[in-house]
Amino acid sequence: MGGLLVATLAVPFLAALLVAVIGRQSVPSCRWIALAAALLATVMAGILAVSFEVAPAGRDVIPDQFVTQWQVASGNTGLDVRFSVALDGIGLWLFVLSAVLLVTSVLVSWESVTERPALYYSMLLLLTGGCLGVFAARDIILFYIFFEFTLVPLFFLIGIWGSEERWYAAVKFFLFTLAGSVFTFLGLLAIVLWDYRCQGTGTLRFDLREVLANVQQNPLPEAWQWWVFLALFAGFAIKVPLVPLHTWLPLAHVQAPTAGSVFLAGILLKIGTYGFLQFCLPLLPHASAVAMPWVLWLSVVGIVYGALVCLAQRDLKRLVAYSSVSHLGFCMLGIFALTPLGVQGGALQMINHGISTGALFALVGMLYDRYHTRQIHELGGLSRRVPWLAFFMVFFTLSSIGLPGTNGFAGEFLLLTGMFQRAFGGGSGESVAALRIIAVLATSGVVLGAWYMLGMVQRVFFGPVREPHSGHTSGSGSNVKDLSWREVLALAPLAVLVLAIGLYPKYFLDRMAPSLGPATAAAAQWTDRLIGPAERRAAVPAPSWLVVENANRVE
Amino acid sequence: MSSDLGTIGWLLPELWLIVAGTAIVVCGAFCPARRLWSAVSLVVLAVAGGLLCWWEAARWLEPQPALLSGPLVNDPMAFLWRHLALLAGALFVLLAACHTDERFQPEIQGLLVLVTAGTMLAARANELVLAFLALELVSVPTYALLFLGGRSRANAEATAKYFYLSILASAVFLFGLGYLYGAAGTTWIYLPEGHSLQQAIPGGGKLALVGLSLVLVGLGFKVAAVPFHFYAPDVYQGTSYTNTALLSVAPKLAGLAVLVRLLVVGFQAAPAVVWPVLVVLAAVTMTLGNVCALWQRNLRRLMAYSSIAHSGFLLMGVAASAAGLAREPFGGVAAVSFYLFAYSLATIGLFAAFAAVKLGDTAVDGLEHLAGYSRRHPWHAAAIAVFLLSLAGVPPLAGFWAKLGVFLSALSGFIAGESAVAARWLLGLAVVGAVNAAIGAAYYLRVVAVLYFGTPSGSHPPAQMHVAWPLQAAVVFCAVLVVGLGIHQRPLSTWSQRAEQSLSMQSAVDVPAKRAEPHRVSWKEPSSLTLPRSR
Repeated sequence: MGGLLVATLAVPFLAALLVAVIGRQSVPSCRWIALAAALLATVMAGILAVSFEVAPAGRDVIPDQFVTQWQVASGNTGLDVRFSVALDGIGLWLFVLSAVLLVTSVLVSWESVTERPALYYSMLLLLTGGCLGVFAARDIILFYIFFEFTLVPLFFLIGIWGSEERWYAAVKFFLFTLAGSVFTFLGLLAIVLWDYRCQGTGTLRFDLREVLANVQQNPLPEAWQWWVFLALFAGFAIKVPLVPLHTWLPLAHVQAPTAGSVFLAGILLKIGTYGFLQFCLPLLPHASAVAMPWVLWLSVVGIVYGALVCLAQRDLKRLVAYSSVSHLGFCMLGIFALTPLGVQGGALQMINHGISTGALFALVGMLYDRYHTRQIHELGGLSRRVPWLAFFMVFFTLSSIGLPGTNGFAGEFLLLTGMFQRAFGGGSGESVAALRIIAVLATSGVVLGAWYMLGMVQRVFFGPVREPHSGHTSGSGSNVKDLSWREVLALAPLAVLVLAIGLYPKYFLDRMAPSLGPATAAAAQWTDRLIGPAERRAAVPAPSWLVVENANRVE
Repeated sequence: MSSDLGTIGWLLPELWLIVAGTAIVVCGAFCPARRLWSAVSLVVLAVAGGLLCWWEAARWLEPQPALLSGPLVNDPMAFLWRHLALLAGALFVLLAACHTDERFQPEIQGLLVLVTAGTMLAARANELVLAFLALELVSVPTYALLFLGGRSRANAEATAKYFYLSILASAVFLFGLGYLYGAAGTTWIYLPEGHSLQQAIPGGGKLALVGLSLVLVGLGFKVAAVPFHFYAPDVYQGTSYTNTALLSVAPKLAGLAVLVRLLVVGFQAAPAVVWPVLVVLAAVTMTLGNVCALWQRNLRRLMAYSSIAHSGFLLMGVAASAAGLAREPFGGVAAVSFYLFAYSLATIGLFAAFAAVKLGDTAVDGLEHLAGYSRRHPWHAAAIAVFLLSLAGVPPLAGFWAKLGVFLSALSGFIAGESAVAARWLLGLAVVGAVNAAIGAAYYLRVVAVLYFGTPSGSHPPAQMHVAWPLQAAVVFCAVLVVGLGIHQRPLSTWSQRAEQSLSMQSAVDVPAKRAEPHRVSWKEPSSLTLPRSR
């Protein structure tokens, strides 16, 4: 099966090359090649997900599956960076989601992109390839290579096919992210060098699992952990983005073409949270535990601030962009609650946000294609004009605000439960009081989220019909078409995922939890020592259909 | 007698280049077919490459102490750097073949061959007088190259500026050399008796410090380090793309080779004033270069500041080595070797690509002239973008691995648990380097943005690609190597590490191995807590 993983990774890159070479002659061939590659990658990723081994009762599974490693040269000279890929529970669903969102992205760009299509589709495919690589890489440097590489295609996507301020947005996006990630790079190198120092075999290793095993035995000194944590934090927090570092996001989202926004919201932001789960928490447990209250504060400020800004938005795309700030705050809140439920909820919410916000950006793009405006006050009562578009918009809005039965509910419920366990489960003192404030404030974000999302839907899709007259549709607006089959097909897979995760989250959590537990256990234990243990089971029992029992098994 | 023959054998590639280069200049006067000479000099360089491989293939594998202590060393570092010099020389020849005045072809080509010989000699000089001669063999033909064919005021200014400042730097270098000789009684960097220059200096060696700082000034000019960088922007702006490519690679390579040998081998356990100077120099150089580049609208000036900034990164590797920190995982010399490859290929490729962009009759000059170029010539623009992104250090291109090596070398001392102040200084330098990597990306990215996002204004004719196969060949060759080294860096990093090891062999006599003992580390272990292990 390892071969299938490598093949899945190779599909977008090969297709990008193919599009760049033969797509210049004919425009439709670009689209069809891209679509074929997207479907192929999705099917292959789906096969990988289905064959991902789940832990039978009482036995742990190996976290990494489908392992493939290419030994380039023997001996220990040179930089022993390998092409080493595998999937674990943390990356599995993000990997699948990247492939699914490629299908959506290709379909939403089908007619709206006519300028330089060969370059466009090859950039889109390269972006997907980079994202797939990020979640599959098991070599620290290989991870960083994919991590940085994703910036380049998105830079071009925003800069060439974006709206008016695209140039500025592209450069700001690239520089902001790069500025953070060079520090992440330094941090990762420091960890690798520490591993080199402690293992004593005289080879510099870059393999994540080997380094992790060694670093967990010989943790970095606490004073250093703090600095290395800050270095990693710089890159990942900008990517997420946590609140004071979020200013690049609305700009990039608003200026990006629809497919770029879909990918940016759906996948690229998750690379930040993925980095926290895969690198920060397991490698630097002590510093993560120390930083936990600070990160939680930033998350909750992001939740509330993002929601308040959404309430004041007049631009649809900007509203969805700021809702990302708020929702990613929820993900970080769950992860850094450092209780099993919180971490599972945070990780699940990463997928959920990718699905629902990706779909919302696609829908805003479709609306823009029809009316050439994104101003909320210029639109109204559209459910009569474009009923299917309205249906999908309401559907994904409900998913986004966490209606029970949709994916958003499962994620938000779990992560808030986890946060409340951390805050009210035990311990005392000022830090716990602060955690309680955070938990309550975060819950208010759910209410605010419902407010701004439903308010937007109500104003745009219901009430008296209001259409812009300067639009593409030459005045009357009555000949605006509803969703075409192509657009329905772009949204359908995401809608299926919304319901699947919403109705049976255990299937997804079963595959994530065995990796999440070990990754966060050390940090959770440090947190327990620092601020008092959270009575995990007793305080708030969670319904059994949600919870994975062996989530946090520690030997 | 046999040893004399052996010396000639060692010198064979350089001797061949000097003889052939001179012959090209002389014979060129009698030959009407001027274009012929670029082909001839390519062949000459290829023969030199063949000689290099043939003569030394057997020797570099096992660096023997006997080979390390002559006036011309024959270690893996010399082997690697000489190959780079030859490669760069061949690329200069390709550039010069179609980007210079046709009347001066034989002269230009001959001089380029001589510069290559000088660079190769500098890469292996173990004796300071020889190093000086090698540096002059780089500089003197450069003066002529800058002057040949140029008629404009800017060109005259560039030539004069470079000439006077370079002469001054050489004089200062020589002055410092005098002090060093006075202090040590020898000009060898690593003496045949088996110890280094520093150990030959009796007493505190204050005199040697004076000499060393003067030598540093001279070499700082060659590599365009910051207080000595002022000539670069003006000279670059006033001269052709061939010459800018030459200026940004050849003197830097030669100067760094001498600097590395002098500091890492000659002054290994250097007095504690040398490495702080280098650390500060590196930090200031990269910061100033990058920050000034942000405001440039002229492509040549931009690249001048970019080459200054890259000198800073290169000096970071030298500083890590000179501070005598752990060189075990990936030391400073290895980092510098790798960096030079990545930097030279991307820079020469970029200049070749710019030289091929014509605005009417002249080569493109201003940043705005490139606006929208990618629409007309997508592959050519893609090559330019690849070079720029490699210089910015974006993975998976060669420049990324270069930055990786430099950062590794700077961080390794700190993580190896050395409490020395040097480790802290270098950590600070690494942080400054990280900030600079981000600043640097800003102006490279601006050029990419102009290429791809810009729309040409009506005030000037759109830039067109000038089709000339030597330029295209140089661009394609560099682009393939920049991408190829990015995807498969292992051979070059292995070679770089060999270069590092060969230098440690030379300095191992007086420096105890500094690698920290494993497991003798003190950290607070959380008591009664078993941490989970992943399997």
